[in-house]
Amino acid sequence: MEFLLQSILNGILAGCIYALFAMGLTLIYGVLNFVNFAHGELIMWGAYFLYLLMEKPIGLPLFLAFIPALFFTMILGLGTDRFIFKPLRQANRLTLLIASLGLSFLLRNGAQFFWGAEIRTYGFEIKRGMRFWGVSITSNQVAIIIASVICIALLYLLFYKSRLGKSMRAVSDSLELARVVGINSRRTIQFTWVIASILAGLGGILLALDTNLQPGMGLINLVKAFAATLLGGVGNLWGALLGGIVIGLAENLGVLVISPGYKDAIAFGIMVLMLLVKPSVLFRNQE
Amino acid sequence: MDLFLHLCIMILIYIIFALSLNLEVGYTGLFNFGHVAFFGIGAYASALLTLHHVPFELSLLIALAMAGSWGFLLSLPSLRLRGDYFGIATLGFGEIIRMIFQNEVWLTKGPMGLPGISKPILFSYRFATLPQYFLLALGFAIITFLILRIILRSPFGRVLRAIREDEVATEALGKNVFRFRIKSFVIGSFFAGLAGTLWGHYITFISPGDFTLLETILVLLIIVLGGKGTEWGPVIGAVLLIFFQESLRFLRLPAEYTRYLAPLQQMIFGGLLVLLMIFRPEGIIKEKGKVENVRSETGQ
Amino acid sequence: MLEVKRVNKSFGGIRAVSDCTLGTKGYRITGLIGPNGSGKTTLFNLITGFLSLDKGEISFKGERINGYLPHHVAECGMVRTFQLARIFPKMTVLENMLLAPSHQTGERLWSLWLKRNRIREEERKNLVKALALINTVGLFHLRDQFAANLSYGQQKLLELARILMAEPEMILLDEPTAGINPSLIRKMMELILKMRDSGKVFFIIEHNMDVVIELCDWVFVLDNGEKIAEGKPKEIQNDPRVIEAYLGV
Repeated sequence: MEFLLQSILNGILAGCIYALFAMGLTLIYGVLNFVNFAHGELIMWGAYFLYLLMEKPIGLPLFLAFIPALFFTMILGLGTDRFIFKPLRQANRLTLLIASLGLSFLLRNGAQFFWGAEIRTYGFEIKRGMRFWGVSITSNQVAIIIASVICIALLYLLFYKSRLGKSMRAVSDSLELARVVGINSRRTIQFTWVIASILAGLGGILLALDTNLQPGMGLINLVKAFAATLLGGVGNLWGALLGGIVIGLAENLGVLVISPGYKDAIAFGIMVLMLLVKPSVLFRNQE
Repeated sequence: MDLFLHLCIMILIYIIFALSLNLEVGYTGLFNFGHVAFFGIGAYASALLTLHHVPFELSLLIALAMAGSWGFLLSLPSLRLRGDYFGIATLGFGEIIRMIFQNEVWLTKGPMGLPGISKPILFSYRFATLPQYFLLALGFAIITFLILRIILRSPFGRVLRAIREDEVATEALGKNVFRFRIKSFVIGSFFAGLAGTLWGHYITFISPGDFTLLETILVLLIIVLGGKGTEWGPVIGAVLLIFFQESLRFLRLPAEYTRYLAPLQQMIFGGLLVLLMIFRPEGIIKEKGKVENVRSETGQ
Repeated sequence: MLEVKRVNKSFGGIRAVSDCTLGTKGYRITGLIGPNGSGKTTLFNLITGFLSLDKGEISFKGERINGYLPHHVAECGMVRTFQLARIFPKMTVLENMLLAPSHQTGERLWSLWLKRNRIREEERKNLVKALALINTVGLFHLRDQFAANLSYGQQKLLELARILMAEPEMILLDEPTAGINPSLIRKMMELILKMRDSGKVFFIIEHNMDVVIELCDWVFVLDNGEKIAEGKPKEIQNDPRVIEAYLGV
C-alpha cells in the first residue's frame, strides 16, 4: 500500500514536470500552429545550461545559477525562432517540420559535442527524504512541486488576466486578423517563445535535479510532452497540465505492472490508445 | 578498391532506403519520421532467421513481410492524424521499436546485439566477397528503382501525388484517400525492410544502437538534398551523403579527438537539413512544376 | 434524385443547419441561395459526406447516403466542386483531368503487374476523352501547363471539366461564378446548360441572381440554417421573406 502511495506521489511529481513541458509545447503550437520538434532540446539545454553554470570553472550555487540558465534557454529559444522559424513562416508544413527535426538533431549533438554522451548529475548528495504517511519525499522534490505550482499560477495570470495573454490568444486564433486589429504579432510571437523556452528550461532543470542529464533526454520527453498535449487537447493550457499529470501517474503506476525498460514507452502507448479511441479531435482537416 | 566497393555497397543500400521513404514523403506527402523502424525490423528479422539456419531466400521474404505488416499495423491508427501529429506518432514509433530491440533480450540479445550474421546465399550462390555483395546490392537496387518507378508513373502514383497536393479534392473525386495512404506506407516499409536486410547481412553485426533517429535524419537528408518527389533525387542524395559519411570514418584522427567526430558529423547533418529547408527546400533536382510563389498549403 | 430530410447540424452551440428538408424532385437544375453564413456550404458538406450530420436523412437515387465517406458518395455518382477552386497545382491540366474517372484499373496495385494492357488501353481512352473535354472548355492550349499557372477563371473551368470527366449523374456546384469575370461567367453558364441537355442534374449554390434566374428550374432559400422559401426563381426574387433575409439583420 505504501508502495502504491509512493508511486502515486512520484507520478504527480513527474506529472508536474511533464505539465511544464506540455504547456510550453502547446503554447508554441497554439500561437504558431506547428509542433516544434526541437522543444525537447530546449528542455535538455536548459538542464545543461544550469550544469555549465554550476560546474567549475564557474561554480555558482543552484539558487544563483538557475536564473541565468533560464535566461540562456530563453535566448536559445528566441534565436531558433529568429533564425530558423521566422524565415519559414510561409513555408509549407513539411519544410517546417523537417527544419525543426534537423534543428533538434543539431542541438542534441551540440550538447553531446560539448559534454559527451555520458550521464551526468548536478552532484547533489542523495538526501534522505522526509516521511509522511509512509511515503518519502525529498526537499528537492518539494521544491519541484512548489516551482511547478507557482509557474502554473503565473501562467494563468498571464494568459487570462493580462493584455499580453489576450494578444497571445488572439494571435493563436488568427494571425492575420490579429495583425489587422493592431496586435503586434511579432512581439506576441517573441513573447510566446520566451515563455515556452522558460517553461522548457525550468522543466528540464527540475527533471535533471530529480533524475539526471544526458543529451538524448530531449527526444523522449518531446514524445511525452506531445502525448500530454494530445490528452488535454492541443492548444489548451489546462489540458496540457492535466495531461502531464496523467502521463506522470500512468508511468509510475504502470511500471508496477510492466517491465521498467518500457517506462518511457507508456506515454507513447497512451497516445496510441487515445488515437484509437478518440480520433475525431485529430482528424485530418475536414472541410 | 576495397574502399571503393564498400562505399558503393553502402550507397546502394541507402539508395533503396531513400527511395522507399521518398515514396511516402516525397510523393504521397506523409511525414514519416520513424522510417528507421522498418529498416531495423528487416535487419533483425532476417538476421535472427538466418542465425537459426533458415535459408536466406526464405528469411528475406519473411523479413520483408514483417516490415510490410508492421507498416500496415502502424499506419492503421496513425494515418487518421494530421501531418504534424502523424510525424510525432511515427517518430515515437521509431523510438519504441528501438526500445523493443533493446529490452527483449531473449529475442534480440538486447544491447549486446547479434554478431556473426552470415553472408547471404541466394539460390546456391554465396555473396561473400565484396564484389559479390556489390552485385547483390546493385541487383536489388535496380529492381527497387524499377518497381517504384512503375508504381510512381502509373495512375496509382498519380493519385498519390494528388493526395499530396490536395487530399480533400482527391477524396471528392471518389478516391479512398485513406486506403491509398496505407498502401503507400506499406510499400515504403516493405522496401525499407529490404534495405535493412541487405545492411544487416553486409556488416554482419547489428545492435539496437544502429537504429536510432540518426538513420531517419540521414535518410530524410538524402531525399531532401537530392530532391524529394523526383526519381533520381534519392540516388544523388545517397551518393553525396554516404560518400561524406563513410569518408569521415576513415579519417585518421588522434585518439583524443575521435569522440568529437560523431557528434560533429551529426551536427553537420542537422545543420545541413536546417539550411536546406531555409534556402533550398527543393534540393538538387527540382521537382517539375515548382512554381516559385505558390502559396503555402492552406488548411492542413 | 437527391432528398434531404430534416437534417440538423450544430457546431458547439451553433446551429449551422436546422431541420432542413428539400429535394431536387425532377428538376434538372436546382438552386440554393441565401445570405452569407446561412449554411449552404455546410449543407453541401453534409450531403457529400465531408461532415457528419447530427440528425436527419439524406438519400440519393433512393439510396440512403448519410454516413458515407466522401469518396463513396462520389462513387455513387454525385460529384462536387468547392467554393475556392480545388485543382492540383503541381500537376498539369491534363493530369488533373486524368485523375477524374473512377475505378481506373491502373489505380489498383496488383493490376500494375497483371493487367498492363488493359491499363494502357484505359489511359489512352481517357486521354482522348480528356483532350476533347479540355477543348470544349477552351483550355486545349494549356493542357501541359501546371494548374497553378492558370488564372483563377481558368482553374474554375478546369474544375468543371474535370467533373465532367468523372461522368457523374449529379453535380453539386458551390458558387461556380464567384470571382470570375463576366465573359467567363457566360461561358460557364453555356457549359452548364449544355451538360444539362445531355442529361446531367445540377444542384447549385449561387449568389449571382442573374445566373440563378437564367439557369435554375427551382430554387431553395436558406437563412440561418433554415429553409425559408422555395419556388421558381422569379417568384423567389419577389418573395418578401427572401428579400428580408438578404436585407435584414
